[in-house]
Amino acid sequence: MIETVTRKRIEILTDKALQKRVTDAIEKAGIIGWTILPVSSGKGREGVWREESVMGTDKVFVLTIASEENAQALAEALAPMLTNFGFLLSMWDVQVIRGERFT
Amino acid sequence: MLETAIQTFTSPVVLFFVLGLLAAFVRSDLAIPEPIAKAMSLYLMAAIGLKGGVAVSKSGIDATVISALVAGIVAGFLLPFFAYAILKTFGKLDRINSGAVAAHYGSISVVTFVTATEILTGQAREPGGYMVAVMAAMEAPAILSGLILARGAGGSGNQSTGEMLHEVFTNSSIVLLLGAFVIGMVGGEAGFDEVSPFFEAGFKGVLCIFLLDMGLIAARRMIDARSVTWRLAAIAIFLPIVNGLAGTALGVGIGLDAGSSAALGVLCASASYIAVPAAMRLALPEADPGIYLTMSLSITFPFNVLINIGVISAFAAFLTGITGADGGVR
Repeated sequence: MIETVTRKRIEILTDKALQKRVTDAIEKAGIIGWTILPVSSGKGREGVWREESVMGTDKVFVLTIASEENAQALAEALAPMLTNFGFLLSMWDVQVIRGERFT
Repeated sequence: MLETAIQTFTSPVVLFFVLGLLAAFVRSDLAIPEPIAKAMSLYLMAAIGLKGGVAVSKSGIDATVISALVAGIVAGFLLPFFAYAILKTFGKLDRINSGAVAAHYGSISVVTFVTATEILTGQAREPGGYMVAVMAAMEAPAILSGLILARGAGGSGNQSTGEMLHEVFTNSSIVLLLGAFVIGMVGGEAGFDEVSPFFEAGFKGVLCIFLLDMGLIAARRMIDARSVTWRLAAIAIFLPIVNGLAGTALGVGIGLDAGSSAALGVLCASASYIAVPAAMRLALPEADPGIYLTMSLSITFPFNVLINIGVISAFAAFLTGITGADGGVR
């Protein structure tokens, strides 16, 4: 049986224009890696949105995996931006192999 | 006047836009794939920049070009103050949202400008090539005024302003538009001949499909709109009329020909829905995109394309007629 450890997987939905702010915050929180996923459309409190790259209103998912401690640091760093920019942040426990790679 | 309106509505470019609007209103699944829409917008920017640059390489930079540039920049800076006053009083918007919307109305829409150029050229009133440079110069000043209005003169010195300015001056449309303009100036007509099969032959066709997409986007946003009141909708029609007529008069006043005066009018009348929303998202995140995008993209843009360009063109012809200036027939 291969050994796994528990880490936090954090998922942030943000405007593409603000992607760099999020990845900067991730790195500042001491987390090494992140992944960007494209998204196409959705609906939130402000109504329906679509990917409209011509107008720069497109959004992305930023995914990252971190230790509990760094995940909390990241959540705190992003908290003030959540309301202003309409971010969505969620995190949950996941099992990873090679836990030393996810700080 | 009627004749101008008929010319507008028989232009395939405008008709494709109408098709886009209709398709969205009947909830058709018609859609242009995002990467293709993006590629078309890059192609259009490059082609517009090149054409403008080539035209200026032929005509040279003279006093007319300089005065058009100065008039454009000053208008871009001042128009938001007028818009802000109306938005705040008649529109009943708060300070932040008024400032954000005002910035959109001082800045310009490239697509409106290109559509106007097509329509004006069809009426033998082709604007001077230097109007492309005026357009590029008018993109940013309004963002500054909008921020001053929303934040107060002293309140914009935070970190996000630097990021926002970087965004404004390095955004893809400005870089490509001005870059292609310089390439056009350097290459001149001989250089343009080599690339014209690509940039000239396909231009109108691509513009048609692009406007089809813009029609779809504008109408879909209108269907989803919630935050725009009838007062704001009225302002989104009123501002382009007043700004358009004032801009045209300004153009005639500084001695531009009818086509270029009309183009300046269209630039003043158009509201940004690409560069400014992106900048506002960074600099004024509290402002509601549901208000500024819906007003500029779903109300002002269709109004300009369908009605206002024709009105401005007729007004420019009328003004140059009474002042005895060049009728713009080339």
